[in-house]
Amino acid sequence: MSEYAIQARGLSKKYGTNTALLDLNLEISSGEVFGLLGHNGAGKTTTVNLLTTLLEPTAGQVVINGINAMEYPNEVRRVIGYLPENVQFYDNLTTMENLRYFARLSGLTKPDARIREVLEYLDFTDHDHDRVGSFSKGMRQRVGIAQAILHSPSVLFLDEPTSGLDPEGVHQLREVMVRLNQELGMTVFMNTHLLSEVTKTCTSIGIMRKGELAYNDSLEATLEAFPGEDSLESIYLQIESAGTR
Amino acid sequence: MTSILAISKHELLSLRREKLPLVLLVVFVVMVSVSGLIGWLTNTTVSNVWNKSTQAGLTNASNPFENVSPLYYSRNTVIYLVLIGALMAIVLGVTSTMRDRKARTLDLVLSRPLSVVEYLLGKTIGVAIWLMAVLATVGCISWASVAIIIGKPLGVQDTTRLAGFYGIALVFLMAFVFLGMISGIYASRETTALLIPISVWSITAFVLPQIGTSANPVSLLNPVPSVAFPGGAFDALNTLFRPLSVTEQFKGASGWLLSNPEVTGYFIASISIVFIATALGLLTLLLTRRDRIRGALND
Repeated sequence: MSEYAIQARGLSKKYGTNTALLDLNLEISSGEVFGLLGHNGAGKTTTVNLLTTLLEPTAGQVVINGINAMEYPNEVRRVIGYLPENVQFYDNLTTMENLRYFARLSGLTKPDARIREVLEYLDFTDHDHDRVGSFSKGMRQRVGIAQAILHSPSVLFLDEPTSGLDPEGVHQLREVMVRLNQELGMTVFMNTHLLSEVTKTCTSIGIMRKGELAYNDSLEATLEAFPGEDSLESIYLQIESAGTR
Repeated sequence: MTSILAISKHELLSLRREKLPLVLLVVFVVMVSVSGLIGWLTNTTVSNVWNKSTQAGLTNASNPFENVSPLYYSRNTVIYLVLIGALMAIVLGVTSTMRDRKARTLDLVLSRPLSVVEYLLGKTIGVAIWLMAVLATVGCISWASVAIIIGKPLGVQDTTRLAGFYGIALVFLMAFVFLGMISGIYASRETTALLIPISVWSITAFVLPQIGTSANPVSLLNPVPSVAFPGGAFDALNTLFRPLSVTEQFKGASGWLLSNPEVTGYFIASISIVFIATALGLLTLLLTRRDRIRGALND
């Protein structure tokens, strides 16, 4: 097992002349909950898409659990779970049918027992035979978490996981994230613009600014480094306006 | 292999849950069944008239259906395949690749350990199994219809020819499935995704044969390929464009398999063109890049 769950080395992504991400260098230790902050369009989703092998970088490398994602993308995909922003499913299929499909794609040949285990873990067994089309945003997000952890990944990527959720949904999701990290030892990488979420769940943070990583440190060190500031929000705004550190 | 199987199963499950492919399937099966009924009615009516005329001493001619191959009664199925079958195949193809784009599930799928080739092959196999089931159903209806019309089961040779015809029909329809799948990947809107392959189909089925044969548009609805008058401009255009009209080539190959005496041309050439068109479609599909598949819709 590698010391670092996630490593990005000189990672860049360009779309024509537009630079979405420039020279990202990042190391996240195994077992951490990392929060990537930034304004809309700062490059957070591009970063997640590159780290999850959904996009190919223009330059640089991604290494997950010691596996080079450019050379062995399928090996990396076996050890990661991914929950995209506003996760969607096949609405005319049930929870079980959707999860069975994604479980099989992850290599589980007889997935039903594992699906039930995951749904029990997420306290979602009452809806396993309901069609996903009738689900609320919060319920979809639970199915989204289920599909991401079916194959017991060691690294979990969550892109804006609390986006559009009501306060109760946010609270439930936060509990799930903490349990996945503490009980199952998953490394969690979370994109968010909700500073309150980062304060409550993350052990380290990064701040993206115009496609570049402007700041990266543990949450504890961050709070210590800005002794005069009373909240992460004011620290975030200070870093945002100061530029790269 | 597990991924390909999973995608194929998912494809079949999704097709079962969607209305449009089911509606097209029913229309297609009904048309073929009606085709059998029309054949039976034609045979019965003409034979009754011939019997009465013979008994009344009005004719010495033999029954016009006496020396007709039993497969003659299935020949209208050819045109149903060219018209409804090809459209059904296009819809199946577009639906297949458009489904994940519309549902926005592609990132969930592509974050799994599978290649683009596995993903597209899985979809292809799923649709092919669906089409095989449709054609097997239609083939059984055809076989039973002919058996009822001639009053006895079809012989081994005719049954083999009928099976061969539906086999070629599967290859022919897969060419349009691939056309639909490619359009479903590259089009930025769902309506465009359907419009492009339907335009290609109409050019193949109507425009190309017409400019090469000066055929009356209505005659293009016949199950027999249109033939240019020898010599002259149309014959020259026919030489140029006929190979491009996969539908006319399919008519030619089918006519040969269904023992249609009106068919001209070379069976091997016709069947080769159908196979080449399908193989080119598959190759183009499998060359699709990963980032292309993730393309967002503008709908």
